[in-house]
Amino acid sequence: MAEFSTSIKDKGDVSVINLKGFLDAHTAPILENNFVDLIDKNRFQIVVEFKDLAYISSAGLGVFMAYIEKIRDSKGDIKFAGMSDKVYNIFDLLGFPLLYEIFKSEDEAIKKFVETK
Amino acid sequence: MNYLNGKINSGIISVLLGASFVLLFADRIFFTGKDSLVLFLINDLIVIITFIILSLYLLKIIREKNPTPSNLVLNIGIINAFIFLAIIFSENILNFLFENISNRITQPGLLESIIYTIYAFVFLIISSYLLIVFKELYFHKQNRGRRTYFLAMLIFMGLTSISNLLFKTPRYEYIINSFFIISIVLIVINSIRISWIAFISKKEKISLLILSIIILTLFILNLVNSGENDFHGKILMNFSPSFQQFFNLMLLYGAIYFSVLFFTTLFHIPTAEAYDRKAKEVSSLQYFSKLITQVLDFNELAETITDIATKVSSADAAWIVIKNNGSTNVIANKNIAYVDADLINQFLLESGVCEKITETKICNLSKFAKKSQLSEKFGSIAVSPLKSYNEVKGYLVAARKNDSIFYEEDKIAINTFSDYASVAIENSILVEQSIEKERLEKELDVAREIQRKILPSKNPYYENFSISSVFIPAFEVGGDYYDFFEISKEKVGFIIADVSGKGISAAFIMAEIKGIFESLSQMIESPKEILVQANHILKNTLSKKSFVSALYGLIDMNEEVICFSRAGHCPAILIRNGEVNLFKPSGIGLGLTNTNHFKEHLEEFKIDLKQNDNLIFYTDGITEAKNKELEDFGDERFIKILLNNADQTVEKISNEVIKEVTLFSNDHSQYDDITLVILKWNKKNNYMEIKNGRIQHLN
Repeated sequence: MAEFSTSIKDKGDVSVINLKGFLDAHTAPILENNFVDLIDKNRFQIVVEFKDLAYISSAGLGVFMAYIEKIRDSKGDIKFAGMSDKVYNIFDLLGFPLLYEIFKSEDEAIKKFVETK
Repeated sequence: MNYLNGKINSGIISVLLGASFVLLFADRIFFTGKDSLVLFLINDLIVIITFIILSLYLLKIIREKNPTPSNLVLNIGIINAFIFLAIIFSENILNFLFENISNRITQPGLLESIIYTIYAFVFLIISSYLLIVFKELYFHKQNRGRRTYFLAMLIFMGLTSISNLLFKTPRYEYIINSFFIISIVLIVINSIRISWIAFISKKEKISLLILSIIILTLFILNLVNSGENDFHGKILMNFSPSFQQFFNLMLLYGAIYFSVLFFTTLFHIPTAEAYDRKAKEVSSLQYFSKLITQVLDFNELAETITDIATKVSSADAAWIVIKNNGSTNVIANKNIAYVDADLINQFLLESGVCEKITETKICNLSKFAKKSQLSEKFGSIAVSPLKSYNEVKGYLVAARKNDSIFYEEDKIAINTFSDYASVAIENSILVEQSIEKERLEKELDVAREIQRKILPSKNPYYENFSISSVFIPAFEVGGDYYDFFEISKEKVGFIIADVSGKGISAAFIMAEIKGIFESLSQMIESPKEILVQANHILKNTLSKKSFVSALYGLIDMNEEVICFSRAGHCPAILIRNGEVNLFKPSGIGLGLTNTNHFKEHLEEFKIDLKQNDNLIFYTDGITEAKNKELEDFGDERFIKILLNNADQTVEKISNEVIKEVTLFSNDHSQYDDITLVILKWNKKNNYMEIKNGRIQHLN
């Protein structure tokens, strides 16, 4: 599979992880490390930006499942933003919209965090 | 010399030796002083025979000890010193012990006879021993062709000795002299070309030089002091004239041999160091072969490399630096503390010594600011790159302490060795990788085998509907699963599922899923309830990262109805009368959320079945199959094929789908498992049977 990379930027209390490329079983550890780092820094308000993500496999979905409990227990959340239709369909099939809040854009997701504070 | 080298029975020799000693002793005691030529001849004959047997005996003893030339030389020295002392002091000591014994040599009494015989015996043994030692020295590292010379020399020495007995008159003295001269010539010939000197180390050569000059002096002194008119000479002469002659010839041989040895050694000394170095290089070749056998364990290999590096370069310490993602770490540090090695590394890296290094570099630590922090005084460093495929993967560092520094000449040996070490390390990494790859492949084989056993080997047969199922595993087992469960005569349950993740872990979850649904399907009929129960079990057993998408359905053949629930799986597709219906009732994947939340969002869906309804269940391996441009096969293509072939048999439809998917993703490897299950409904009591590929209506 092709390359995958992430970048993290902080917007106030919210951290935004930007995903790029192909997220599968082989590249999932990169994203896992991002979550571990953020949790270590007590940053539990996380928005995952999908606009540059080309593909996500079931192992990629598993990464969010691995950390969501801990983050929600710490009064935080993972919110998704900027999904293409194709990526959204994968999330939708599995019922992820029933588990996570999904927004059209990063800004909307951040706004939601700020509002609920 | 053949008779000396032949197999000798030690028992017989000991007996013979004993017998000849007794005989000789008896002869000496009872027949001395009797002036009879016959007795004289018999006497010498016995002496000669005893000497030969004695030599054979000693040869055997020495052979068993297998001494080095240096040992042999030292033995000669000791014996020579003994001879020297014996010759000088024997007269005085014996005179002191037995009053004026020296005056009665030619007319001895019984006591004197015994003493003289014992004295002669000692020298008989000594000269025999000398002969054997010289013989061993001569043949050490010597070509076989030169045997004849030695044998000829022995023969002429023998002839000289015997002629000394027979022709001791002025008239025939020329015979003795000519044998004597020939013997001398042969001794000289046999003394040159001492080949074993070349093979000893410089240190041994120097001690040999000193030893040989001492021994040479002793041989000359002994030769001078053992004339016929000296006390010692007289005793031997009286004992046996031929032996006396032989003994002197042995001393002469010794003097000549050792003078030659002295000069040969002297001329070899300047080249000794070069020889030593070559020998070291050759022996380090043997070390290299050691490297080859250790490629299986990287750490062990690294230890061996530093160990040999210290030997090859005569360094006090050595270690390996491995570059790893921009950082460096020390491994296999030998004779140096880890902290010291690390400090020196920092210096080497910061000072730029290691930049663009292609061969061994020598640098001293005089500019090293933190030198005082080292626990030992390392002063000179030799750094060699460890390369593989022209890339420097690390360094082999050797260090010398105090004032001993590395010279340019040392570079060659270290460089050669580091090249070998590079190859060994590279091999070790390759072996490790291929073992790892093999292990993964084995693991995948196991996973595929598990999957194959879990999936149904054949489809069940029902009169009311025909079933086709296709499963194509990906190289890395994808975790697709489907199955049918017979609940009663009228009811059959089925499941299609996709486990997240790949490989052996996915295969194990599949096995668990099979177990769960096998048992739940027998206890509960409602697909929704079954999935809720399955989620309850899986939420507790699966790791947080894992989940399973599943679709469970129940077909009631009496009611002609199918009821199903979808837990995050691909939709069910119904093709009826040339139209497509996609059923995607709400439902979350198994293991993703707690049971209440799961149950709340799980819908159950019912379809009344009509004649020729095609129901299609699949996994995302089909719709997400990719071509070279990484485009998905997609829903549209899939549905189009289904529509176009809706009137065909289930096998035909499924073959078309697989054919198109395969053609589409021809240039791209199959990444995920593909599962496709198609059911075609035939109205009750109006089923079709497929015969010879043609559909026949039975009613």
